[in-house]
Amino acid sequence: MSDQNNETVLTALSQVIDPALGKDIVTLGYVKNININAGCVTFTLAIPAPLFPSKEKMREKAEAILSTLPGISSVEIKMKTEIQTAVPTRGVPGVKHIVAVGSGKGGVGKSTVAANLAAIFSEYGAKVGLVDGDIYGPTVPILMGARNAELNQNERGIIPIESHGIKFMSMGLLSKGSAPLIWRGPMAHKAIQESLLRVDWGEIDYLFVDMPPGTGDVHLTLVQTVPVTGAVIVTTPQDVGMTISLKTFRMFEQTKVPVLGLIENMSTYQCLHCGKEDDIFGAGTVSKEAERLRVPFLGGIPLSKKIREYADSGMPVIFADPMAAGPYVDIADKLATEIYVRNYNKRTLIIEEEPEEASESFTV
Amino acid sequence: MTAYTTPIAIKKKGNHSLEVSWEDHHISLYSFRYLRQHCSCAGCVEEWTGQKLLDPETIALDLICTKVETTGNYALSFSFSDRHDTGIYHFDHLRAICPCESCRGKQKPLRF
Repeated sequence: MSDQNNETVLTALSQVIDPALGKDIVTLGYVKNININAGCVTFTLAIPAPLFPSKEKMREKAEAILSTLPGISSVEIKMKTEIQTAVPTRGVPGVKHIVAVGSGKGGVGKSTVAANLAAIFSEYGAKVGLVDGDIYGPTVPILMGARNAELNQNERGIIPIESHGIKFMSMGLLSKGSAPLIWRGPMAHKAIQESLLRVDWGEIDYLFVDMPPGTGDVHLTLVQTVPVTGAVIVTTPQDVGMTISLKTFRMFEQTKVPVLGLIENMSTYQCLHCGKEDDIFGAGTVSKEAERLRVPFLGGIPLSKKIREYADSGMPVIFADPMAAGPYVDIADKLATEIYVRNYNKRTLIIEEEPEEASESFTV
Repeated sequence: MTAYTTPIAIKKKGNHSLEVSWEDHHISLYSFRYLRQHCSCAGCVEEWTGQKLLDPETIALDLICTKVETTGNYALSFSFSDRHDTGIYHFDHLRAICPCESCRGKQKPLRF
C-alpha cells in the first residue's frame, strides 16, 4: 500500500510556483487527473500557454518533489496545453484570444511578423487563426503559400483557408492577382467585420489580426467590434518608423486595448559576404522606447534575406528553417506569457441589469 | 489606463438609470435622459467644431434605454427609446460627465 493519497500529493505540489504569476500550480489549477497506483503517481500538468518558458522547470521541480515522498517509486507527468480565456468572447464565437498586429507605417514587415508568429504558436500546439486586416494590401495569402485558394461557404459562414495548420481569412482572395480593392471607409468597415464574424472559425486559441499600417477605419472597426486581448506593435528602429509607431500606440491606449509589447524588426543586418553585423536602421531604439512607454519589449528580428525568401515562397520560417526561427520563437514565448499573465489579472466587465427600483423618481 | 477612468462594475437600473463604479471607488449615477443629452456622436456634436447640435430640451422626459452594451474594451453604447443608438460613450467621456455634486463644476467633456 502506498503512504500517499491525492491530498498529500497536492500538498507537496503546492510548493511548485509558476514564476510568471508567483502562485503555486495547485492554486492555479494546473494539476489534473492525479492517479496513485502501487507507489506510482501520474498526473497531468495543464500549462496555460503553448510556449511557456517555465514549463520544463515546473515539471522538473514537481517530479523532484514527488520523488522524495515516502512510498513513491515513480512519477509520470503528462504535459498538456490548456489556454484560458477570461471572457466568453462576445464577438467571435469559439475564439479565445484576439491579438492585433499593428504598425505605424507600412513596410516594416508587420505581415511577415504576424504570419511567422502565428506559425510558431501553431507549431507549439495552439489552434491558430489569422485574419488579413490589411484589405488594401493583402499579403497573408502569399505569406501562407495559398495565393490561389478559393473561399467557400457553409451554413455557418465562410470557410477559412487552412495552410500549414493555420486557418486564415483574407479579402485578398476575393480580388485576384493585381486587381485592387478600391473601397471607401464603410466598405472597409464591412469587410473587416465579415472577416471576423462571418467566418466559421471553429475552435481557435489565438486569432491574429494583421492590421493595415496606421490608424484608420479598420482599426476602429476592430476595436469596436470585438474585445481585443491585446496588440503588438512592429516597428523598425530608425526614427521615422518609431515616431509614427507612437501614434499607433496612442490609438490602442485611447481605445483601451492593452499593448502586449513592441517588436523591433530589421534590427540588424548580417552581411552575406563577411558575416559582420551592421545596424542599418540603428539598433536598440525600440527597447528604449518600450521602457519609456512602460510596455514589454518582445525582441528584435534581424534583416535577413532568408526570411524574405521564405516569406515570398509562402513558407513560415519555423517550418522552412527552424534554426533560423530563433528570434521569432523568443518573441512568441514572451508574447504567450504576456497574454496569459494579462488574462489572469483581467477583470471581466459585465453589465448587470437590475429591475426598476422604488426610487423611480430619479431624474436630472 | 488610470483608475479614474476604469469601470469595475456597470449596473443598468431598470430602464431609467445607469450606475458605474470606478476603480478609484467613485460611483457615478446617470439618468438615461442625461446620457442621451450628452451623446457625442457626429449627429449630436459637430465633428469639426465640437459645437453641440442637439438641443437637450428636445429629449423626452420619459426617455428610456432598452439596451446597454460594451463597445470593445473602451466604451459603452446605448439603445434609447427615441431610436438613437449611434453614440459611443468612451469611459473617459462618461467619467468626465459624471453628474454628482463633487464632479459637477469641473466638468469638461472629452471628445474623440
